[in-house]
Amino acid sequence: MAKKSKGRAQTVRPRQQSTRAAVAPQRWRLKLVIGGVILAVALGVGGLVRFLQHSNLSPRLQKAVDQHYTLGTAGAPVVIKEFSDYT
Amino acid sequence: MQRFEGQVQLVLYPLALNPAANPASEVAAQAAWCAGEQGKFWDFHHMLYRRQELWNRFAAPLERLSDFANDLSLDPTALKSCVESGRMQTFVAADRTYSQQLQVNSTPTLFINEQRVVGFRPEDELMRLMRQELDRVQRPGQ
Repeated sequence: MAKKSKGRAQTVRPRQQSTRAAVAPQRWRLKLVIGGVILAVALGVGGLVRFLQHSNLSPRLQKAVDQHYTLGTAGAPVVIKEFSDYT
Repeated sequence: MQRFEGQVQLVLYPLALNPAANPASEVAAQAAWCAGEQGKFWDFHHMLYRRQELWNRFAAPLERLSDFANDLSLDPTALKSCVESGRMQTFVAADRTYSQQLQVNSTPTLFINEQRVVGFRPEDELMRLMRQELDRVQRPGQ
């Protein structure tokens, strides 16, 4: 009986070692996937913020022409808004 | 501007970006609005840059600006009392708020339609950017 069990134990050990060896790259792969997802989310949020900022700029740029000093033709296709500090 | 007659309009926002740190810029912006009341906004605007070194480092820049007003056939007393009354403060404050909404953090900042141009640029570069924008908006299907 004892011999039988010893023999069984000897056959199991190398299999456990190979399982451990297989788990290690799997963990790295998981870390890479999680890192990739975090990076993608961060880039997506950054892109969204930039898009929202830019899309909000257009209506804001359309206001406040009135009551300001202008040169050139009103209703021209190109409007230049100049923000200048005198100092 | 004359090269682009009928095609380009310039709107000027005299800005006092940081009046707490630089009160002279607030005085100058208000004085420009006040000069506008006397029909001399652009003359005064150009003078402020031309003589910048002569007024912006003084403790009482309004005194200097009132002196220069004489050279532009402005009424210096009216200009001074206009600034001192603070009635142009709302215009300057409104422009500052507007500039903050547009995330203008330094001057000069220009918007050629929606294209932001930050910092001083040589005239030929500005001409090129204007021409580019004109081409873009005048392209069929735009």
